[in-house]
Amino acid sequence: MAETFIAQQMLDQEMIARIGRRDQSAFSALYDRMSGPLYSMAMRMLGDPAEAQDALQDVFLQIWSRAGTYDPEQSSVFSWTVLLTRSRVIDRLRARGRRSRVVVASTEDTPTTVTGDASTVESAADTAQKNDEAARVRHVLNNLPSEQREAIELAFFEHLSHHEIAARLGQPLGTVKARIRRGLLKLRERLNNL
Amino acid sequence: MISEEQQDQAALYALGLLGADEDAAFESELRANAELRDLVRDLREAAGDLALAAPSLLPPASLKQRIMREIATETKRVVPMPTQRASFGWVPWAIAAGLAVFCGLLALDRVRLERQLADIRRADPLMQTTFYTLAPSAPAPAYAKATVAWQPGRQSGVIRISNLPAPEPGKDYQLWAVDAEHKDPISAGIVRVDKNGVAQVRFKPVEKAEHVKAFAISLEREGGVPKKEGPILLVGSA
Repeated sequence: MAETFIAQQMLDQEMIARIGRRDQSAFSALYDRMSGPLYSMAMRMLGDPAEAQDALQDVFLQIWSRAGTYDPEQSSVFSWTVLLTRSRVIDRLRARGRRSRVVVASTEDTPTTVTGDASTVESAADTAQKNDEAARVRHVLNNLPSEQREAIELAFFEHLSHHEIAARLGQPLGTVKARIRRGLLKLRERLNNL
Repeated sequence: MISEEQQDQAALYALGLLGADEDAAFESELRANAELRDLVRDLREAAGDLALAAPSLLPPASLKQRIMREIATETKRVVPMPTQRASFGWVPWAIAAGLAVFCGLLALDRVRLERQLADIRRADPLMQTTFYTLAPSAPAPAYAKATVAWQPGRQSGVIRISNLPAPEPGKDYQLWAVDAEHKDPISAGIVRVDKNGVAQVRFKPVEKAEHVKAFAISLEREGGVPKKEGPILLVGSA
């Protein structure tokens, strides 16, 4: 498992290095690997396929133009692309001012769903490995204390600030901060130990 | 030692929840505290993994085509030179002359930078990775595929296979490097796929392969063979 993880990280970093040198085949391979999870996240946050696709397009064009700025000391390639996507999605949420209408979906295991004219076979193959990882993350997340999971989901997927989460849940600010911190630390620890 | 308050801030920072002022203050703390930086990196990874908790969807294939078109256009795009009109008198000519000198200096600088880059590429094996895309040939399923990242300097690589069903009992998939200076393909070892038809492994050919033209995967007897015998399932060049 660790060997696979390290190999994957190495492959991702090599792809980013190639993209930095304008290698379109490396870009295409990275797209195949990352687009499923990034699109799923954008859809969960935006709840609108057209907007999620526009956000994803922005993100991949950003990856194409900014691959040279990726710093492996700061995060893995996958986390870097997640943070880029989240940032673009949040820009869109702010622009349309409809945070309150965000679709909140369940984190239960769900089969991969294809939207529109997806190239099912090819994309599904690249997503197969991510689906395993997704099942692990959902398992760990669903086994966190519910108050920690709730605080993390509100922060990550709805981009509520800790002040807004405290107000929504009717809890003191310090309690909400501690829930987010404990939940995130547990998530990391349990994912590392699986 | 990291205080609970610092841990709280680190978690909020990793999730992008700090305001601009708090962000700046925390980043200055980060610069001075290696342990805190490690924690933030860990928390960022956890935050990244959260993306996988969203219900799984795939974007339409047309989106990839749109993006690939866009980057291809951007790559080809040439900024047109502005046209100068004689009616501006001597000033544009003076600017043009200055620009010509400047461009000359830039050209010299570019040559120097290209030499430096070539030196770096020679010194850093990571800069010498070549990607090979392997396409299926019968009897492999039409949707099977593989990508190889090959580093000749290190004589090692990583292969990732998708959608290749496990071989029948008594058989194994074997990876081969097709090298211009070797008559026969060089074995790079056995590759085992998981239940999803996915494999990702590091490999090292058994002999030195300095001019690899292609990589291939064949179906062989269990445990592998020193010289290719079975049918080729996936093959591709750089």
